[in-house]
Amino acid sequence: MQILDRLRLGLAVATAKLVTAIVKGLKLGAASVLPGEISRRLHPRLLPLLFEQVNKGVILIVGTNGKTTTSLLLRTILENQEQKVTHNATGANLINGLITALLADTNLIGRLTTDYAILEVDENVLPLVLKDCTPQYILGLNLFRDQLDRYGEVDTISYRWQQAINPLPQESKIILNADDPTLAYLGQNLSQNVVYFGLNEPELYLETIPHAVDSIYCPSCGHLLDYKGVYLSHLGDYTCPSCDFSKPKLMLNSSDWGQILIGVYNKYNTLAAGVLSLEIGVKQAAINETIRSFKAAFGRAEELTVQGKHIRILLSKNPVGMNETIRAVNTLKKQGKSSTSLILLNDRTPDGTDVSWIWDVDTETLVKSGGTIIVSGDRTYDMALRLKYSQDSLGDAGSPVNLVIEENLSKALQTALDGTPSHETLHILPTYSAMLEVRKLLTGRQIL
Amino acid sequence: MELRIGWLYPTLMSTYGDRGNVICLQQRCQWREITATVVPLDRQAEADLFKNVDIIVGGGAQDRQQEIVMRDLQGAKAENFRQRIEAGIPGVFTCGSPQLLGKYYEPALGQRIEGLGLLDLETKHPGINASRCIGNVVFELTASPLAEELREMLGKTPIALGFENHGGRTYLGNVSPLGKVIKGYGNNGEDGWEGAFYRHAIATYSHGPLLPKNPFLADWLIQTALKEKYQTPISLTKLDDSLALQARQAMFNRLELSSLVKNP
Repeated sequence: MQILDRLRLGLAVATAKLVTAIVKGLKLGAASVLPGEISRRLHPRLLPLLFEQVNKGVILIVGTNGKTTTSLLLRTILENQEQKVTHNATGANLINGLITALLADTNLIGRLTTDYAILEVDENVLPLVLKDCTPQYILGLNLFRDQLDRYGEVDTISYRWQQAINPLPQESKIILNADDPTLAYLGQNLSQNVVYFGLNEPELYLETIPHAVDSIYCPSCGHLLDYKGVYLSHLGDYTCPSCDFSKPKLMLNSSDWGQILIGVYNKYNTLAAGVLSLEIGVKQAAINETIRSFKAAFGRAEELTVQGKHIRILLSKNPVGMNETIRAVNTLKKQGKSSTSLILLNDRTPDGTDVSWIWDVDTETLVKSGGTIIVSGDRTYDMALRLKYSQDSLGDAGSPVNLVIEENLSKALQTALDGTPSHETLHILPTYSAMLEVRKLLTGRQIL
Repeated sequence: MELRIGWLYPTLMSTYGDRGNVICLQQRCQWREITATVVPLDRQAEADLFKNVDIIVGGGAQDRQQEIVMRDLQGAKAENFRQRIEAGIPGVFTCGSPQLLGKYYEPALGQRIEGLGLLDLETKHPGINASRCIGNVVFELTASPLAEELREMLGKTPIALGFENHGGRTYLGNVSPLGKVIKGYGNNGEDGWEGAFYRHAIATYSHGPLLPKNPFLADWLIQTALKEKYQTPISLTKLDDSLALQARQAMFNRLELSSLVKNP
């Protein structure tokens, strides 16, 4: 680094740190984005200069669902190996969020001391990040429809990833979910070394393919794929009857592995972090140890106790995610462990401004399993309407579920807490910004 | 009474909650004790299935899926589909499906996709890096005789509310637009028109999905389908749409359309 570059970097870093101190000092927020924005204006090559200094390697994690949980598990595994890890832990996964995370571990003259940088990267931002960074590992979790208002379509995203990854050096290792045909096809079209994780446990197959499915057609020839079984959305065991495309060989046997938290989606997150850790050279026994003692990231199957009531927050921000959380809640409902759910639908930028996705969710199964559903959020009535149309009869009389509509979030939350018996769990299903809001109400403070 | 709702390519063309239109039609029939069967018009479907559906619903597709659809919707299938629309059965086509009823669609990547040519309209995507038309959309239904019939049903100017999200820009030839944009982009963000209307087919970029928050459109489709099928005017029992009205009111309020807030 040249001396002038070093000075300018120092200035940018010092300013960012001052901004962080002010924002946090005045309790204006979590300071997870603004410092990055300001310092990047002061030094446009800030990101590559920070990336260069990461000691052992940069790990980028991309995918629609599971980035935060997977990153957190991977981080914990590495930290248990005495590695120093930098991570954008607040889920701020656009460029400014990445810079802010790296800056947090940088000293006042711009020197970054860390072994690994684990960075959750937004689907659409990956090509931009790869212009500035040569990662050691890229972990691709899945591609579902999510916030199409911002990103366009699954195929376009996968195509952009391919264009962005191919110029990277051969040493960069790509780890992909074999059960997702779009990612498997991406892997075939990369020149780098690709390793696959996935499930090989037919006992976990869903009985029917859910409606919210994106990619059941062969990405290579367009023929309908032949599924032996589906684990979740379009993730499963598939072959193309018309060309030679099929699920790639897995580098591990999934039934040998335990999992963190609840739900099949967390089994995928576990395998993803596990495979990457093995690639880095962590021993399997050490990985298993961390899996056993793992605790949730905020809002992702996170559990809290407030006013003597047990609560589980299940972030539900797209059809696949929400179908999976409903699957988990219904299992607990049937066991008599839960009867009350609070659904929070917001439509701010981090949630996606288009709420039409709720019609791709199989809410019918949540209504059928009975109990009380309380609805709130910016789009309270849209969600209420979806649930109304999930009932066989229009009137309240014949409905299996008690539907409560309350625009005011604090009141909705209090109603939900009051309605939850003390031996049961209240399940909160919020979109992203609603999760931050409700968490703030529950804990009386902001995240981090 | 009984209606058969034909759903165009449910596995290929259902990107933006378009299933909501099918759910809405089916439930509003069943709540009135009209039997409603959903008939998936997928690739496996025989061409004859098109002949005995009473309403056709189509949603949006990603570009690749749209290509697969157009390769399949040929020959007898295309002909039967065309005949049903010309015969006057009602249809609602949102997002991508109007492009497929039009003359052609030029996607951002790949070849021009020829449409059925049922509607005189053309769609072009201005390129992978061009910004999409995204946001809440409000428009006044102006197509004749739809607008007059809705006005009679509602006793006021029919206003539709939805969400648009499209890369392609649509330009109308010799076909009536569905409505006039009050808020949003509409067909192309230039000429102020939204959608198209031909025979009894509604084509629009507005999803959200369209019908649950514009229940009068769902009822118009059901009523028209019954009238065409049984060749006699049928009036529907009124349903409690207070939730849809509240949802409309909340959005009109946010969009600062004060006259609509008072009368959603």
